[in-house]
Amino acid sequence: MDSSSILVIDDELHIRQFLRAAFEFEGFAVQEASDAEEGIRSATLKPPDLIILDLGLPDRDGSSVIERLRSWSNVPIIVLTVRSREREKVRLLELGADDYVVKPFGIGELIARARAALRPRAVTPLGDPVVRVGRLEINLATRAGTFDGKRLVLGPKEYLVLQILAQHAGRVVTRQQIMKQVWGGSHLDDTHYLRIVVRNLRKKIEVDPTRPRILLTELGVGYRLGT
Amino acid sequence: MRHDPDQDGRTSLRQRLRNSLWPVLKSLVLVGVTTIGLLILDQFFALRHVTLVYLVPVVIAATKLGIVPAVIAAIAGGGASAFFFYPPIYSFLVQDPQHLIELPLFVFVAIVTGHLATNLKRQAELARRRETEVQDLYAFSRQLAAAHTANDIYTAIRQHLTSMIGRRTILFETAPRGGVGATLSNEERVPERVKRETEAVIGRRKDSRSDSVVDDGEGHLWLVRPVAGKAEDFGVLAIDLGQQAGAKADAIRQRVDTVLDDATTTLEHLDLGQAISEARVRSETEALRDALIGSVSHQLRTPLVSILGAATVISRAPGNRSDPRLASLADILRDEVDRLNSDVQDLLDAALISSKGVRLESEWVEPADIVNTAIDRRQRLLAGHRVALDIPSELPFIYVDPILLEQALGQIVDNAAKYSQPGSAIQVAVRSDSTSVILSVKDEGFGLVGEESTRLWERFFRGERHASNVSGSGLGLWIAKAFVTANGGEIEAFSEGAGRGTIVSIRLPASEAPKPDLMVGDDG
Repeated sequence: MDSSSILVIDDELHIRQFLRAAFEFEGFAVQEASDAEEGIRSATLKPPDLIILDLGLPDRDGSSVIERLRSWSNVPIIVLTVRSREREKVRLLELGADDYVVKPFGIGELIARARAALRPRAVTPLGDPVVRVGRLEINLATRAGTFDGKRLVLGPKEYLVLQILAQHAGRVVTRQQIMKQVWGGSHLDDTHYLRIVVRNLRKKIEVDPTRPRILLTELGVGYRLGT
Repeated sequence: MRHDPDQDGRTSLRQRLRNSLWPVLKSLVLVGVTTIGLLILDQFFALRHVTLVYLVPVVIAATKLGIVPAVIAAIAGGGASAFFFYPPIYSFLVQDPQHLIELPLFVFVAIVTGHLATNLKRQAELARRRETEVQDLYAFSRQLAAAHTANDIYTAIRQHLTSMIGRRTILFETAPRGGVGATLSNEERVPERVKRETEAVIGRRKDSRSDSVVDDGEGHLWLVRPVAGKAEDFGVLAIDLGQQAGAKADAIRQRVDTVLDDATTTLEHLDLGQAISEARVRSETEALRDALIGSVSHQLRTPLVSILGAATVISRAPGNRSDPRLASLADILRDEVDRLNSDVQDLLDAALISSKGVRLESEWVEPADIVNTAIDRRQRLLAGHRVALDIPSELPFIYVDPILLEQALGQIVDNAAKYSQPGSAIQVAVRSDSTSVILSVKDEGFGLVGEESTRLWERFFRGERHASNVSGSGLGLWIAKAFVTANGGEIEAFSEGAGRGTIVSIRLPASEAPKPDLMVGDDG
């Protein structure tokens, strides 16, 4: 059981109702807001641990809500979106959204995303330097990885990509975010190199590299390390 | 034949003189070169019948420079052989009576040959031009055959006229139903003055000759002229005359008139006026239908989110969680919502494709990612089938819109699952050769019979065998084809007949991916 608090910002009453029920069953505390202004106000007055934000709000568009929230808070935000808007998803993730779920969705999917988003974002100096994702272990202190207990031989770029994904385990990371951290700001559009690194990584950490189960692709958006 | 339109003015006289003197000079140079060559050879061999050799510059002059230079080359050639080769040498005198006959004979033969060569060349040029004209016309008719909207037809007309006139042209569509006002039938940038002049021309187009020349303020002159036949009106054409003025522009204008008279006749023969108005009606009907579908589908989709959400919450609620009957009811709800949602999505996609076309956001893509996403997103639908993937590990990356391609493949996979028995196998394979990457979906289902295999890709087509017992919008394959074609690919289906399964394959061009020079320093 979880005791985190969740703020649902959605103009559809029915959606708010089932989200409240679902998260309360899981032990979360739920607040609701029916438009962007109310949402931003609630987030200020009583900061939640996680925000679920519907993009189709009547009073403001999603990106400006995220920008407003991000100007003073780094609370995890999960966006509810519709299919075939990949550019928009990428933009929202770049603005600071943590993940997205495509409507219509089963509640299990949303709860899994919420749990992943609630996990601490990065390892603190006092924390455990080992990130574990399934059978994969990455030691951020020694910059070494093991898979099923066997040591992985990783190139420097491969290690960096894997480390970024592991630190966001279960959450989507856009290609631009990875590119920026691994290759620096000047190569943001050359995502081809990233594709090659990913292909090589899959040969090392996947049982069947052509049918990945750990390093997953979010088409048109980025990658996600499965948990 | 090249003809110079300049008729007057001192500069143009000088120009003309230069234009006609230059070929003559060239032909004399040819004769000179021949003579030097012959003189050199003469040092080593005693040459006889040198006069004949002078036919070479004559023929060259005739084919390249025209008949006057050829005649001059013939006379010069005769003179040169008399001067350099017939005794007494270095004198135009000729002693041998046989040479006296030979020389005029040479000049005569040379002139006749030159004349024949010029004629031959002119005819070859004519034939070549006719060939290009026929090719243009063929391309034009092919484009017309493929034209669906009035806009397509206008684009075809404009391209045809541009290639016939050989200058930049812009075609304005006159507003339907006789209204005044020009609609641009393509997205080119048009100078403001030209646009205004076009509207003026449309306003007074009842006059038979309402063309005019306008300066666009950027140094270019434009001819604005209606393209109209006896009964029909095909729009107004603006032609960029370039920076010429005066007589030169008049000459181009005359040629444009001739070309357009021809072209208008062709357009009338093709009954294009009728085609254009039909296309307009068609597109209005389609726009209305698409708008309707778009708004209805949106209304349909909104409640689906709540239905699916609420159903899955109920099945997970404490106390219900352990009840397998509730879980299976939630599964049913989920499957039905998925199905309804995908039908609604098809309607939305189809409306979008026909109203806005397919907009690509292409990037380099790992082909395996497309297949895996398409399969993973359909896990529930495919749960009853044995799905086998066959993906080689070293495939070339492809440059496509990954979202659209995944949707296209997904439609094919949906169909494979829907039109086959539970428990049967579905195989999704990827192959590559030097020019393409091929994604294929093979099922052991009902196959294709009769008109199914030919009408499969049509919008709203549903085979009669399945219309009553398998749900579907009749749009899936039409959408798949639109998405694959937009990505530069081809899609085809093959079946050995009823109950013998179907193979659908998507062939995409494989192009050279950029070289990874950023990988330097990476041992991975």
